[in-house]
Amino acid sequence: MAADWKELKERLEAERVRLRAGGGPPLQEKEHAKGKRTARERIDLLFDPGTFEEIDLFAKHIGRDYGLDKKEVPADGVVIGYGEVNGRGCMVYAEDFTVIAGTFGERHGKKICKIIDMARKYGFPVVGINDSGGARVTEQMGALSQYGQLFYRHVAASGVVPQIALIMGPVAGGQAYSPALMDFIFMVEKTSAMFIAGPPLVEAVVYEKTDEQSLGGPKVHGRITGVSDGTLADDRQCLEHTRRLLGYLPLNNQERPPYVTPEDSPDRETSELEEIIPTDQKRLYNMRRVIQCVFDRGSFFELKKDFAQNLIIGLARLNGHVVGVVANNPVKYNGALDYNAADKGSRFIRFCNAFNIPLVNFQDVPGFLIGTRSEHNAIIRHGAKMLYAYAEATVPKITCVLRKAYAGGYLAMCSKDLGADVVFALPTAEICLMGPQGAVNILFRKEIASSETPEETRARREAEFMEKYVNPTYAAGLQHVDDIILPGELRRRLIRALEMTLDKEEEAPNRKHGIMPV
Amino acid sequence: MAEELLAPMVGKILKIKVKPGDAVREDDEIMVMESMKLETGIHAPCDGVVKEIKVAEGDRVEEDDLLAIIE
Repeated sequence: MAADWKELKERLEAERVRLRAGGGPPLQEKEHAKGKRTARERIDLLFDPGTFEEIDLFAKHIGRDYGLDKKEVPADGVVIGYGEVNGRGCMVYAEDFTVIAGTFGERHGKKICKIIDMARKYGFPVVGINDSGGARVTEQMGALSQYGQLFYRHVAASGVVPQIALIMGPVAGGQAYSPALMDFIFMVEKTSAMFIAGPPLVEAVVYEKTDEQSLGGPKVHGRITGVSDGTLADDRQCLEHTRRLLGYLPLNNQERPPYVTPEDSPDRETSELEEIIPTDQKRLYNMRRVIQCVFDRGSFFELKKDFAQNLIIGLARLNGHVVGVVANNPVKYNGALDYNAADKGSRFIRFCNAFNIPLVNFQDVPGFLIGTRSEHNAIIRHGAKMLYAYAEATVPKITCVLRKAYAGGYLAMCSKDLGADVVFALPTAEICLMGPQGAVNILFRKEIASSETPEETRARREAEFMEKYVNPTYAAGLQHVDDIILPGELRRRLIRALEMTLDKEEEAPNRKHGIMPV
Repeated sequence: MAEELLAPMVGKILKIKVKPGDAVREDDEIMVMESMKLETGIHAPCDGVVKEIKVAEGDRVEEDDLLAIIE
Protein backbone atom coordinates (compact mmCIF):
# COMPACT_ATOMS: atom_id res chain seq x y z
CA MET A 1 0.00 0.00 0.00
CA ALA A 2 1.31 3.43 -0.96
CA ALA A 3 2.20 5.79 1.88
CA ASP A 4 -0.48 8.36 2.56
CA TRP A 5 0.09 12.13 2.67
CA LYS A 6 0.46 12.19 6.42
CA GLU A 7 3.25 9.65 6.28
CA LEU A 8 4.96 11.36 3.32
CA LYS A 9 4.80 14.65 5.16
CA GLU A 10 6.27 13.23 8.34
CA ARG A 11 9.02 11.48 6.44
CA LEU A 12 10.03 14.66 4.58
CA GLU A 13 9.86 16.78 7.73
CA ALA A 14 12.09 14.34 9.61
CA GLU A 15 14.57 14.28 6.75
CA ARG A 16 14.65 18.09 6.62
CA VAL A 17 15.23 18.39 10.34
CA ARG A 18 18.02 15.83 10.25
CA LEU A 19 19.83 17.46 7.32
CA ARG A 20 19.41 21.01 8.60
CA ALA A 21 21.00 19.99 11.88
CA GLY A 22 24.32 19.74 10.02
CA GLY A 23 26.96 18.24 12.31
CA GLY A 24 24.50 18.27 15.24
CA PRO A 25 24.25 20.16 18.54
CA PRO A 26 27.59 19.10 20.15
CA LEU A 27 29.62 20.40 17.21
CA GLN A 28 27.43 23.50 16.97
CA GLU A 29 28.13 24.23 20.63
CA LYS A 30 31.83 23.90 19.92
CA GLU A 31 31.51 26.62 17.27
CA HIS A 32 29.50 28.83 19.60
CA ALA A 33 32.22 28.47 22.23
CA LYS A 34 34.72 29.88 19.74
CA GLY A 35 32.42 32.90 19.30
CA LYS A 36 31.24 31.68 15.91
CA ARG A 37 27.72 31.19 14.59
CA THR A 38 26.64 28.23 12.50
CA ALA A 39 26.07 28.50 8.75
CA ARG A 40 22.30 28.64 9.12
CA GLU A 41 22.40 31.16 11.97
CA ARG A 42 24.56 33.39 9.77
CA ILE A 43 22.11 33.12 6.89
CA ASP A 44 19.28 34.14 9.22
CA LEU A 45 21.25 37.21 10.26
CA LEU A 46 21.99 38.13 6.65
CA PHE A 47 18.47 37.96 5.24
CA ASP A 48 15.21 39.65 6.12
CA PRO A 49 13.29 37.27 8.43
CA GLY A 50 11.48 34.47 6.63
CA THR A 51 12.85 35.25 3.16
CA PHE A 52 15.53 32.58 2.82
CA GLU A 53 14.85 29.71 0.42
CA GLU A 54 17.34 26.87 0.61
CA ILE A 55 18.11 24.70 -2.40
CA ASP A 56 20.17 21.52 -2.65
CA LEU A 57 19.56 20.53 0.96
CA PHE A 58 19.49 16.95 -0.29
CA ALA A 59 22.80 17.13 -2.18
CA LYS A 60 25.00 14.11 -1.44
CA HIS A 61 28.75 13.87 -1.35
CA ILE A 62 30.58 11.69 -3.85
CA GLY A 63 33.15 10.04 -1.52
CA ARG A 64 33.47 6.29 -2.09
CA ASP A 65 36.75 5.40 -0.44
CA TYR A 66 38.04 5.32 3.14
CA GLY A 67 34.59 4.33 4.41
CA LEU A 68 33.07 7.62 3.34
CA ASP A 69 30.44 5.88 1.26
CA LYS A 70 28.78 4.96 4.56
CA LYS A 71 29.12 8.44 6.08
CA GLU A 72 26.38 11.00 5.82
CA VAL A 73 27.54 14.54 5.06
CA PRO A 74 24.45 16.77 5.44
CA ALA A 75 24.06 19.15 2.47
CA ASP A 76 27.72 18.29 1.76
CA GLY A 77 28.87 20.94 4.22
CA VAL A 78 27.54 24.03 2.47
CA VAL A 79 24.17 25.77 2.55
CA ILE A 80 23.06 27.58 -0.62
CA GLY A 81 19.96 29.53 -1.53
CA TYR A 82 18.43 32.94 -2.04
CA GLY A 83 16.59 35.52 0.01
CA GLU A 84 16.10 39.23 0.51
CA VAL A 85 18.18 41.93 2.15
CA ASN A 86 16.07 44.99 2.88
CA GLY A 87 13.57 43.71 0.34
CA ARG A 88 16.13 43.23 -2.44
CA GLY A 89 17.20 39.84 -3.79
CA CYS A 90 20.52 38.23 -2.90
CA MET A 91 22.16 34.80 -3.28
CA VAL A 92 24.18 33.11 -0.58
CA TYR A 93 26.45 30.18 0.08
CA ALA A 94 27.58 29.43 3.60
CA GLU A 95 30.04 26.69 4.50
CA ASP A 96 29.09 24.61 7.52
CA PHE A 97 32.11 23.95 9.72
CA THR A 98 30.14 21.41 11.78
CA VAL A 99 29.97 19.10 8.76
CA ILE A 100 33.40 17.52 8.36
CA ALA A 101 35.00 20.93 9.01
CA GLY A 102 33.24 22.55 6.05
CA THR A 103 35.75 20.85 3.78
CA PHE A 104 35.49 21.55 0.09
CA GLY A 105 34.53 18.41 -1.82
CA GLU A 106 33.20 17.93 -5.34
CA ARG A 107 29.49 18.31 -4.57
CA HIS A 108 30.21 21.12 -2.10
CA GLY A 109 31.99 22.94 -4.94
CA LYS A 110 29.23 22.22 -7.43
CA LYS A 111 26.68 23.72 -5.07
CA ILE A 112 28.67 26.95 -4.74
CA CYS A 113 29.17 27.11 -8.53
CA LYS A 114 25.44 26.60 -9.02
CA ILE A 115 24.46 29.52 -6.83
CA ILE A 116 27.03 31.83 -8.47
CA ASP A 117 25.68 30.82 -11.90
CA MET A 118 22.17 31.64 -10.69
CA ALA A 119 23.32 35.00 -9.32
CA ARG A 120 24.86 35.91 -12.66
CA LYS A 121 21.95 34.61 -14.71
CA TYR A 122 19.20 36.26 -12.68
CA GLY A 123 21.21 39.35 -11.80
CA PHE A 124 21.59 39.26 -8.02
CA PRO A 125 24.59 39.89 -5.75
CA VAL A 126 26.18 36.85 -4.16
CA VAL A 127 27.48 36.65 -0.60
CA GLY A 128 29.92 33.83 0.16
CA ILE A 129 30.39 32.87 3.80
CA ASN A 130 33.71 31.05 4.09
CA ASP A 131 34.46 28.73 7.00
CA SER A 132 36.30 25.67 5.83
CA GLY A 133 39.17 23.40 6.74
CA GLY A 134 40.23 23.41 3.08
CA ALA A 135 40.07 20.82 0.34
CA ARG A 136 38.51 17.43 1.21
CA VAL A 137 41.63 15.35 0.62
CA THR A 138 39.67 12.12 0.08
CA GLU A 139 38.10 13.61 -3.04
CA GLN A 140 41.35 14.64 -4.75
CA MET A 141 40.65 15.67 -8.38
CA GLY A 142 36.97 16.20 -7.54
CA ALA A 143 37.90 18.98 -5.11
CA LEU A 144 40.77 20.39 -7.17
CA SER A 145 38.65 20.58 -10.29
CA GLN A 146 35.83 22.33 -8.41
CA TYR A 147 38.26 24.98 -7.18
CA GLY A 148 39.01 25.66 -10.82
CA GLN A 149 35.31 25.69 -11.68
CA LEU A 150 34.69 28.11 -8.81
CA PHE A 151 37.45 30.51 -9.87
CA TYR A 152 36.13 30.40 -13.44
CA ARG A 153 32.68 31.38 -12.21
CA HIS A 154 33.89 34.23 -10.02
CA VAL A 155 35.56 35.65 -13.11
CA ALA A 156 32.46 35.10 -15.27
CA ALA A 157 30.36 36.95 -12.68
CA SER A 158 32.96 39.69 -12.11
CA GLY A 159 31.55 43.07 -13.08
CA VAL A 160 28.13 41.49 -13.73
CA VAL A 161 26.89 41.10 -10.15
CA PRO A 162 28.53 42.24 -6.89
CA GLN A 163 30.39 39.42 -5.10
CA ILE A 164 31.06 39.73 -1.38
CA ALA A 165 33.15 37.26 0.63
CA LEU A 166 32.86 36.98 4.40
CA ILE A 167 35.67 35.20 6.20
CA MET A 168 34.21 33.63 9.32
CA GLY A 169 36.69 30.89 10.02
CA PRO A 170 39.73 29.53 8.24
CA VAL A 171 40.03 29.78 4.47
CA ALA A 172 43.05 27.73 3.60
CA GLY A 173 44.93 26.66 0.52
CA GLY A 174 43.66 27.18 -2.99
CA GLN A 175 40.30 28.19 -1.61
CA ALA A 176 41.79 31.52 -0.51
CA TYR A 177 41.70 32.57 -4.15
CA SER A 178 37.93 32.35 -4.19
CA PRO A 179 37.41 35.45 -1.98
CA ALA A 180 40.38 37.06 -3.72
CA LEU A 181 38.46 36.95 -7.01
CA MET A 182 35.40 38.58 -5.44
CA ASP A 183 34.80 42.32 -5.00
CA PHE A 184 34.83 42.76 -1.23
CA ILE A 185 36.20 40.73 1.67
CA PHE A 186 35.27 41.25 5.31
CA MET A 187 36.92 39.35 8.15
CA VAL A 188 35.95 38.65 11.74
CA GLU A 189 38.31 39.38 14.64
CA LYS A 190 40.09 36.36 16.18
CA THR A 191 38.14 33.62 14.37
CA SER A 192 39.10 34.28 10.74
CA ALA A 193 42.25 33.67 8.73
CA MET A 194 43.20 33.37 5.07
CA PHE A 195 46.40 31.84 3.74
CA ILE A 196 47.49 29.65 0.86
CA ALA A 197 49.28 27.27 3.23
CA GLY A 198 48.66 26.74 6.93
CA PRO A 199 51.22 26.59 9.77
CA PRO A 200 52.04 22.84 9.52
CA LEU A 201 52.75 22.99 5.79
CA VAL A 202 54.73 26.22 6.17
CA GLU A 203 56.89 24.61 8.83
CA ALA A 204 57.43 21.44 6.81
CA VAL A 205 58.29 23.17 3.56
CA VAL A 206 59.96 26.48 4.37
CA TYR A 207 60.99 25.72 7.98
CA GLU A 208 59.15 28.67 9.47
CA LYS A 209 57.30 28.33 12.77
CA THR A 210 54.20 30.47 12.75
CA ASP A 211 50.49 30.51 13.55
CA GLU A 212 47.26 31.17 11.67
CA GLN A 213 46.80 34.74 12.87
CA SER A 214 50.33 35.83 11.93
CA LEU A 215 50.07 34.12 8.55
CA GLY A 216 46.75 35.61 7.54
CA GLY A 217 44.59 36.95 10.35
CA PRO A 218 42.43 40.07 10.00
CA LYS A 219 45.28 42.34 11.13
CA VAL A 220 47.58 41.00 8.42
CA HIS A 221 45.00 41.35 5.65
CA GLY A 222 43.56 44.61 6.96
CA ARG A 223 46.84 46.46 7.40
CA ILE A 224 49.65 44.79 5.48
CA THR A 225 48.28 43.01 2.42
CA GLY A 226 45.10 44.97 1.73
CA VAL A 227 43.32 41.70 0.92
CA SER A 228 40.56 42.55 3.38
CA ASP A 229 38.15 45.49 3.16
CA GLY A 230 37.50 45.57 6.87
CA THR A 231 37.48 43.69 10.17
CA LEU A 232 34.34 43.32 12.27
CA ALA A 233 34.16 42.28 15.92
CA ASP A 234 31.93 39.23 15.45
CA ASP A 235 29.73 37.36 12.98
CA ARG A 236 26.64 39.42 13.76
CA GLN A 237 28.38 42.74 13.13
CA CYS A 238 30.00 41.40 9.99
CA LEU A 239 26.61 40.36 8.57
CA GLU A 240 25.06 43.68 9.58
CA HIS A 241 27.92 45.45 7.80
CA THR A 242 27.26 43.35 4.69
CA ARG A 243 23.56 44.26 4.73
CA ARG A 244 24.59 47.89 4.92
CA LEU A 245 27.06 47.54 2.02
CA LEU A 246 24.42 45.86 -0.16
CA GLY A 247 22.27 48.95 0.35
CA TYR A 248 24.79 50.95 -1.73
CA LEU A 249 25.10 48.46 -4.57
CA PRO A 250 22.99 47.86 -7.65
CA LEU A 251 21.78 44.27 -7.94
CA ASN A 252 23.73 43.93 -11.18
CA ASN A 253 25.63 45.97 -13.75
CA GLN A 254 22.47 46.78 -15.74
CA GLU A 255 21.08 48.80 -12.86
CA ARG A 256 21.94 52.01 -11.13
CA PRO A 257 22.76 51.91 -7.43
CA PRO A 258 19.68 52.37 -5.22
CA TYR A 259 18.58 55.96 -4.65
CA VAL A 260 17.13 56.84 -1.26
CA THR A 261 15.22 60.00 -0.43
CA PRO A 262 17.77 62.12 1.41
CA GLU A 263 17.15 63.60 4.83
CA ASP A 264 20.00 66.01 4.37
CA SER A 265 19.37 69.23 2.41
CA PRO A 266 21.16 69.60 -0.92
CA ASP A 267 21.61 73.29 -0.11
CA ARG A 268 23.20 72.74 3.29
CA GLU A 269 26.16 75.07 3.59
CA THR A 270 29.45 73.41 4.32
CA SER A 271 31.30 76.36 5.81
CA GLU A 272 32.52 74.06 8.62
CA LEU A 273 35.19 73.16 6.09
CA GLU A 274 36.79 76.53 6.81
CA GLU A 275 37.51 75.24 10.31
CA ILE A 276 38.71 71.86 9.06
CA ILE A 277 40.99 72.80 6.16
CA PRO A 278 43.85 75.05 7.28
CA THR A 279 44.92 77.73 4.81
CA ASP A 280 48.45 77.22 6.11
CA GLN A 281 49.63 74.58 3.68
CA LYS A 282 52.07 73.14 6.18
CA ARG A 283 49.34 72.19 8.63
CA LEU A 284 47.62 68.82 8.40
CA TYR A 285 43.91 68.11 8.81
CA ASN A 286 41.49 65.23 8.97
CA MET A 287 40.18 64.40 5.49
CA ARG A 288 37.51 62.11 6.98
CA ARG A 289 35.94 65.16 8.61
CA VAL A 290 35.78 66.82 5.20
CA ILE A 291 34.03 63.76 3.77
CA GLN A 292 31.59 63.55 6.69
CA CYS A 293 30.75 67.22 6.31
CA VAL A 294 30.14 67.20 2.55
CA PHE A 295 28.23 63.96 1.88
CA ASP A 296 24.78 63.11 3.21
CA ARG A 297 25.04 62.92 7.01
CA GLY A 298 26.20 59.52 8.24
CA SER A 299 26.33 57.99 4.78
CA PHE A 300 30.08 57.39 4.41
CA PHE A 301 30.92 53.66 4.26
CA GLU A 302 34.69 53.38 4.32
CA LEU A 303 36.60 50.45 2.82
CA LYS A 304 40.16 49.24 3.49
CA LYS A 305 40.50 51.85 6.22
CA ASP A 306 43.69 50.46 7.77
CA PHE A 307 45.47 49.69 4.50
CA ALA A 308 47.36 52.34 2.49
CA GLN A 309 46.05 55.03 4.81
CA ASN A 310 47.32 57.79 2.53
CA LEU A 311 44.26 57.22 0.34
CA ILE A 312 40.70 57.09 1.67
CA ILE A 313 38.09 55.17 -0.32
CA GLY A 314 34.46 54.36 0.35
CA LEU A 315 30.86 54.66 -0.73
CA ALA A 316 28.64 57.56 0.28
CA ARG A 317 25.47 59.33 -0.75
CA LEU A 318 25.14 62.76 -2.23
CA ASN A 319 21.56 64.02 -2.18
CA GLY A 320 20.49 60.35 -2.05
CA HIS A 321 22.64 59.19 -4.98
CA VAL A 322 25.35 56.62 -4.31
CA VAL A 323 28.88 57.75 -5.19
CA GLY A 324 32.37 56.34 -4.76
CA VAL A 325 34.68 58.63 -2.81
CA VAL A 326 38.43 58.72 -3.45
CA ALA A 327 40.34 61.19 -1.26
CA ASN A 328 43.98 61.78 -0.40
CA ASN A 329 44.70 61.66 3.31
CA PRO A 330 47.35 64.24 4.22
CA VAL A 331 47.94 62.61 7.60
CA LYS A 332 49.84 59.70 6.02
CA TYR A 333 52.75 60.45 3.66
CA ASN A 334 51.23 63.95 3.41
CA GLY A 335 48.77 62.37 1.00
CA ALA A 336 51.42 61.24 -1.50
CA LEU A 337 50.39 58.19 -3.52
CA ASP A 338 52.52 55.09 -2.99
CA TYR A 339 52.22 51.66 -4.63
CA ASN A 340 49.70 50.37 -2.11
CA ALA A 341 47.47 53.44 -2.38
CA ALA A 342 47.52 53.16 -6.17
CA ASP A 343 46.51 49.51 -5.95
CA LYS A 344 43.74 50.26 -3.46
CA GLY A 345 42.42 53.22 -5.43
CA SER A 346 42.48 51.68 -8.88
CA ARG A 347 40.64 48.55 -7.84
CA PHE A 348 37.91 50.62 -6.20
CA ILE A 349 37.59 52.94 -9.20
CA ARG A 350 37.12 49.94 -11.49
CA PHE A 351 34.48 48.47 -9.18
CA CYS A 352 32.56 51.75 -9.23
CA ASN A 353 32.81 52.01 -13.00
CA ALA A 354 31.59 48.44 -13.49
CA PHE A 355 28.53 49.07 -11.30
CA ASN A 356 27.54 52.54 -12.51
CA ILE A 357 28.66 54.35 -9.37
CA PRO A 358 29.82 57.94 -10.08
CA LEU A 359 33.17 58.99 -8.61
CA VAL A 360 33.84 62.02 -6.43
CA ASN A 361 37.52 62.78 -5.89
CA PHE A 362 39.06 65.07 -3.28
CA GLN A 363 42.60 66.09 -4.08
CA ASP A 364 45.31 67.05 -1.65
CA VAL A 365 48.30 65.31 -3.11
CA PRO A 366 51.92 66.42 -3.25
CA GLY A 367 52.63 63.79 -5.93
CA PHE A 368 53.60 60.16 -6.11
CA LEU A 369 55.84 59.12 -3.22
CA ILE A 370 59.44 59.43 -4.41
CA GLY A 371 62.77 57.91 -3.34
CA THR A 372 64.61 54.63 -3.82
CA ARG A 373 62.20 52.60 -1.76
CA SER A 374 59.19 53.87 -3.64
CA GLU A 375 60.82 53.29 -7.04
CA HIS A 376 61.92 49.79 -6.04
CA ASN A 377 58.40 49.03 -4.93
CA ALA A 378 57.42 49.75 -8.52
CA ILE A 379 55.58 53.02 -8.11
CA ILE A 380 55.73 53.39 -11.90
CA ARG A 381 53.95 50.10 -12.52
CA HIS A 382 51.42 50.57 -9.71
CA GLY A 383 50.92 54.30 -10.18
CA ALA A 384 50.01 53.60 -13.80
CA LYS A 385 46.98 51.66 -12.53
CA MET A 386 45.44 54.83 -11.09
CA LEU A 387 45.86 56.67 -14.39
CA TYR A 388 44.47 53.69 -16.26
CA ALA A 389 41.47 53.20 -13.99
CA TYR A 390 40.39 56.83 -14.05
CA ALA A 391 40.94 57.24 -17.79
CA GLU A 392 38.99 54.05 -18.48
CA ALA A 393 36.04 54.92 -16.22
CA THR A 394 32.99 56.20 -18.09
CA VAL A 395 30.85 56.94 -15.01
CA PRO A 396 30.48 60.61 -13.97
CA LYS A 397 33.77 61.81 -12.48
CA ILE A 398 33.78 64.94 -10.34
CA THR A 399 36.95 66.27 -8.76
CA CYS A 400 37.59 68.99 -6.21
CA VAL A 401 41.08 70.22 -5.46
CA LEU A 402 41.20 71.14 -1.78
CA ARG A 403 44.87 72.04 -1.47
CA LYS A 404 47.80 70.41 -3.21
CA ALA A 405 47.44 68.98 -6.69
CA TYR A 406 51.00 68.55 -7.79
CA ALA A 407 52.38 66.95 -10.91
CA GLY A 408 51.55 63.28 -11.51
CA GLY A 409 49.44 63.22 -8.37
CA TYR A 410 47.11 65.83 -9.88
CA LEU A 411 46.58 63.67 -12.96
CA ALA A 412 46.34 60.41 -11.00
CA MET A 413 43.54 61.81 -8.81
CA CYS A 414 41.42 62.48 -11.91
CA SER A 415 42.06 65.82 -13.50
CA LYS A 416 40.19 67.20 -16.52
CA ASP A 417 42.76 65.51 -18.76
CA LEU A 418 41.93 62.06 -17.34
CA GLY A 419 38.30 62.67 -18.21
CA ALA A 420 36.87 64.42 -15.15
CA ASP A 421 33.46 65.83 -16.08
CA VAL A 422 33.57 68.68 -13.59
CA VAL A 423 36.57 70.02 -11.67
CA PHE A 424 36.25 72.46 -8.79
CA ALA A 425 39.01 74.09 -6.79
CA LEU A 426 38.91 75.80 -3.42
CA PRO A 427 40.83 79.08 -3.17
CA THR A 428 43.46 77.13 -1.17
CA ALA A 429 44.19 74.90 -4.20
CA GLU A 430 47.76 74.69 -5.44
CA ILE A 431 47.74 73.17 -8.89
CA CYS A 432 51.05 72.89 -10.67
CA LEU A 433 53.56 70.82 -12.54
CA MET A 434 56.15 71.57 -9.89
CA GLY A 435 55.90 73.19 -6.47
CA PRO A 436 57.32 76.70 -6.01
CA GLN A 437 60.37 75.49 -4.07
CA GLY A 438 61.53 73.08 -6.74
CA ALA A 439 60.70 75.40 -9.60
CA VAL A 440 62.49 78.37 -8.09
CA ASN A 441 65.56 76.21 -7.46
CA ILE A 442 65.74 75.43 -11.15
CA LEU A 443 64.67 78.76 -12.62
CA PHE A 444 66.55 81.12 -10.31
CA ARG A 445 69.46 79.10 -8.97
CA LYS A 446 72.07 81.50 -10.33
CA GLU A 447 70.18 84.58 -9.21
CA ILE A 448 69.81 83.19 -5.69
CA ALA A 449 73.45 82.08 -5.52
CA SER A 450 74.75 85.49 -6.58
CA SER A 451 72.32 87.46 -4.44
CA GLU A 452 73.60 89.33 -1.41
CA THR A 453 70.45 88.28 0.43
CA PRO A 454 69.81 84.79 -1.01
CA GLU A 455 66.99 83.87 1.40
CA GLU A 456 65.15 87.05 0.62
CA THR A 457 65.58 86.56 -3.12
CA ARG A 458 64.35 83.00 -2.86
CA ALA A 459 61.30 83.99 -0.81
CA ARG A 460 60.44 86.77 -3.26
CA ARG A 461 60.80 84.48 -6.28
CA GLU A 462 58.72 81.76 -4.60
CA ALA A 463 55.91 84.16 -3.73
CA GLU A 464 55.91 85.48 -7.26
CA PHE A 465 55.83 81.96 -8.70
CA MET A 466 52.94 80.99 -6.38
CA GLU A 467 50.89 83.97 -7.46
CA LYS A 468 51.56 83.38 -11.14
CA TYR A 469 51.43 79.62 -11.64
CA VAL A 470 50.23 77.82 -8.52
CA ASN A 471 47.19 79.93 -7.72
CA PRO A 472 44.07 78.12 -8.99
CA THR A 473 43.06 81.09 -11.13
CA TYR A 474 45.93 80.11 -13.43
CA ALA A 475 44.53 76.60 -13.99
CA ALA A 476 40.98 77.99 -14.18
CA GLY A 477 42.13 80.51 -16.78
CA LEU A 478 43.27 77.58 -18.91
CA GLN A 479 39.96 75.70 -18.34
CA HIS A 480 41.53 72.89 -16.30
CA VAL A 481 39.28 73.96 -13.44
CA ASP A 482 35.62 74.67 -14.18
CA ASP A 483 35.12 76.91 -11.20
CA ILE A 484 36.79 78.17 -8.06
CA ILE A 485 34.37 77.83 -5.17
CA LEU A 486 34.15 78.52 -1.44
CA PRO A 487 34.15 75.67 1.11
CA GLY A 488 30.60 76.53 2.13
CA GLU A 489 29.40 75.92 -1.44
CA LEU A 490 31.09 72.56 -1.91
CA ARG A 491 28.17 70.26 -1.08
CA ARG A 492 25.67 72.16 -3.18
CA ARG A 493 28.02 72.46 -6.15
CA LEU A 494 28.95 68.77 -6.05
CA ILE A 495 25.28 67.80 -6.00
CA ARG A 496 24.46 70.08 -8.93
CA ALA A 497 27.40 68.70 -10.90
CA LEU A 498 26.48 65.10 -10.07
CA GLU A 499 22.83 65.49 -11.00
CA MET A 500 23.85 67.17 -14.25
CA THR A 501 26.16 64.26 -15.18
CA LEU A 502 24.06 61.29 -13.96
CA ASP A 503 22.80 60.45 -17.44
CA LYS A 504 26.26 60.71 -18.98
CA GLU A 505 26.80 58.36 -21.87
CA GLU A 506 30.25 57.57 -23.05
CA GLU A 507 31.07 54.61 -25.23
CA ALA A 508 34.22 52.69 -24.48
CA PRO A 509 36.25 51.88 -27.61
CA ASN A 510 35.35 48.61 -29.27
CA ARG A 511 37.91 46.05 -28.09
CA LYS A 512 38.05 42.84 -26.13
CA HIS A 513 39.55 44.67 -23.18
CA GLY A 514 42.38 47.08 -22.54
CA ILE A 515 45.61 45.93 -20.96
CA MET A 516 45.48 47.22 -17.41
CA PRO A 517 49.05 47.57 -16.10
CA VAL A 518 48.51 45.14 -13.21
CA MET B 1 57.80 49.14 28.63
CA ALA B 2 59.69 50.95 25.88
CA GLU B 3 57.98 52.24 22.75
CA GLU B 4 59.96 52.78 19.59
CA LEU B 5 59.27 55.93 17.65
CA LEU B 6 59.66 55.24 13.92
CA ALA B 7 59.86 57.63 10.99
CA PRO B 8 56.43 57.83 9.33
CA MET B 9 57.98 58.36 5.89
CA VAL B 10 61.13 59.18 3.98
CA GLY B 11 62.38 62.73 4.60
CA LYS B 12 64.55 65.05 6.71
CA ILE B 13 64.44 65.79 10.44
CA LEU B 14 63.98 69.55 10.85
CA LYS B 15 63.61 69.99 14.56
CA ILE B 16 63.92 67.90 17.71
CA LYS B 17 61.91 69.37 20.55
CA VAL B 18 62.94 67.05 23.40
CA LYS B 19 66.11 65.65 24.92
CA PRO B 20 66.82 62.39 26.76
CA GLY B 21 65.26 62.44 30.20
CA ASP B 22 62.35 64.71 29.23
CA ALA B 23 58.90 63.59 30.25
CA VAL B 24 56.39 63.48 27.39
CA ARG B 25 52.66 62.90 27.13
CA GLU B 26 50.97 60.86 24.45
CA ASP B 27 50.52 62.94 21.28
CA ASP B 28 53.04 65.63 22.28
CA GLU B 29 54.90 66.82 19.21
CA ILE B 30 58.47 65.73 19.81
CA MET B 31 60.00 66.18 16.36
CA VAL B 32 59.22 67.90 13.10
CA MET B 33 60.23 66.39 9.79
CA GLU B 34 59.96 67.61 6.26
CA SER B 35 58.94 65.37 3.42
CA MET B 36 57.03 65.56 0.17
CA LYS B 37 56.89 69.37 0.38
CA LEU B 38 55.30 69.46 3.83
CA GLU B 39 56.31 69.67 7.44
CA THR B 40 55.00 66.81 9.52
CA GLY B 41 54.92 66.68 13.30
CA ILE B 42 56.01 63.42 14.90
CA HIS B 43 54.11 62.70 18.08
CA ALA B 44 54.79 60.65 21.19
CA PRO B 45 53.14 57.21 20.93
CA CYS B 46 52.58 57.07 24.71
CA ASP B 47 53.16 58.86 28.01
CA GLY B 48 56.72 58.36 29.26
CA VAL B 49 60.28 59.55 29.41
CA VAL B 50 62.55 60.00 26.40
CA LYS B 51 65.20 57.34 26.84
CA GLU B 52 67.22 57.84 23.71
CA ILE B 53 67.21 59.95 20.57
CA LYS B 54 68.66 58.22 17.54
CA VAL B 55 68.73 61.09 15.04
CA ALA B 56 69.97 64.67 14.82
CA GLU B 57 68.43 67.71 13.19
CA GLY B 58 69.18 67.67 9.48
CA ASP B 59 69.40 63.85 9.29
CA ARG B 60 67.83 62.12 6.33
CA VAL B 61 65.60 59.22 7.34
CA GLU B 62 63.84 56.33 5.63
CA GLU B 63 60.35 55.17 6.52
CA ASP B 64 60.42 53.08 9.74
CA ASP B 65 63.91 54.26 10.76
CA LEU B 66 64.21 54.38 14.55
CA LEU B 67 64.01 58.00 15.74
CA ALA B 68 63.72 57.69 19.51
CA ILE B 69 62.81 55.37 22.36
CA ILE B 70 60.19 56.41 24.89
CA GLU B 71 60.01 54.55 28.18
